[in-house]
Amino acid sequence: MTLPARRTPALSASFAATAEAHLDDVYGYLVYLTRDRMLAEDLAAETFEKALRLWKRFDPRRGSARTWLCQIARTTALDWFRAEERRRRREEAVARPDVAETDMPEGLSPELEGALASLSAGEREVIALRILLELDGEEAARVLGIRPTAVSTRLSRALTKLEERMIVHV
Amino acid sequence: MSEQLLNEIREAKPVASPELRERVALIAVEAPAREPLLARFQPRRLLLVAPVAVVLVLLAAGAIANLPRGGTGDEEQAAVTAESSADQSVRSAPGSTTVPSESSTRESLSPAPILGAPSGAIAPSPGRLQRFQAEMRLRVADVEELSAATKSAMRIAQSLRGYVVSVQYDAPAEGVGGAQIVLRVPTARVQTALTQLSALGTILGQRIGIEDLQQPADDLTAQIETTQREIARLRARLESTTLADEERAVLQARLADARRQLTDLRTALSGTRAEARHATIQVGLTTERIEPAPVQDGRLDGLKEILAWEGTALLYVLVIAGPFVLLGVLIWLGLRFRRRQAETRLLEQN
Repeated sequence: MTLPARRTPALSASFAATAEAHLDDVYGYLVYLTRDRMLAEDLAAETFEKALRLWKRFDPRRGSARTWLCQIARTTALDWFRAEERRRRREEAVARPDVAETDMPEGLSPELEGALASLSAGEREVIALRILLELDGEEAARVLGIRPTAVSTRLSRALTKLEERMIVHV
Repeated sequence: MSEQLLNEIREAKPVASPELRERVALIAVEAPAREPLLARFQPRRLLLVAPVAVVLVLLAAGAIANLPRGGTGDEEQAAVTAESSADQSVRSAPGSTTVPSESSTRESLSPAPILGAPSGAIAPSPGRLQRFQAEMRLRVADVEELSAATKSAMRIAQSLRGYVVSVQYDAPAEGVGGAQIVLRVPTARVQTALTQLSALGTILGQRIGIEDLQQPADDLTAQIETTQREIARLRARLESTTLADEERAVLQARLADARRQLTDLRTALSGTRAEARHATIQVGLTTERIEPAPVQDGRLDGLKEILAWEGTALLYVLVIAGPFVLLGVLIWLGLRFRRRQAETRLLEQN
């Protein structure tokens, strides 16, 4: 599917092309982060709304559009997590979703899906960035706001944990 | 971690649904809402612009403060010289030997003379009797040059129809050599003399003083005329045949006194005129390695001075504001660390 013609010429043109090019990446990242495909869709839409507002500030010299969009997506997801936490506290019903209730991507084996779902969001997001989106260490570090060495460490721990969970599930 | 597992993750990459694509497409064609003012404010940009702006403001302030106010630089210089002359006249009057009455003196202290025209700013006024005194300190390279410069100074005075009053020459085998030369040159040629003398070495310092002798000379002339009239009157009375011997003797004594006074007054006037005809130049030559005073560029120096003051003020501000800025940075770092901790905790919980 292609995007329709836009009303604001150059600005919207470049943004629409960027959005289309990186929609799957942003969506995939959010799916891994939230374990919820429906929620990921909503957050992806919100991400692109924010991105459109901030599009004038985007500077390609400071990082790729994909990295920039992932940063916005992360902020959007964190805002959602905070809001959700506050809501849970208000309701005094802290009910972390069970692994079984998760909605991970299709095509994964049940063992891998279960193991991924058992990881924390922080572990899943580093796997998403480095394995799924294949960002390099620098780009992933930019998204996460940490150093590239810390990204490597975090990824290594997440994969080890994932492997352990896979063995348990098997 | 097996590569097969990683490939499985890659191959099962989630793909956005057509509905999501439609939503994003609609978002993309919408005109972006204008950000609120606070959202558009970027402290990072301010941090980049602020130092440049501060430097520009300080430079502009310095330039504005250095602009001449209501006159040219020459006028300001003249005003400064006039102020200086007032002080100098008070100091010079008691030391005056030929002028008993008050006199006006101009004096210039010039630690950084203009090469080639060392006394261009102050010159004797033509048509008036003035005592012109100048002192110069010059540095020469070595003893050989000292000797040559001393001889040259004497030749300069003689070539200008002046003369050498005194010479003290000291050139030890080791150490610093020096010479003190006192010259008298016609006042009308003093500028030429100073220009030629200044070329004998590197000027270390210069002092020029001008004392006006016209008024004392006029006073002496008036006293001479009065005395001459008194003498004429006494002589007329002495020609009378009706004078008593005693009265004649008194008048003759007064006439003798008046004649002596007239002689003294004429001598004094002659001395004053002689003093004004020649200028005294004291030349100090040395081989000592003394750095000459830096040449001052008035306008640039003013700007430098203002910038130095601004720098000092800025330093004070930094000293005072520094702890607060540091505290602010620490608070900011603390808040950032706390926010990141909270994010990590949030991501671990989900």
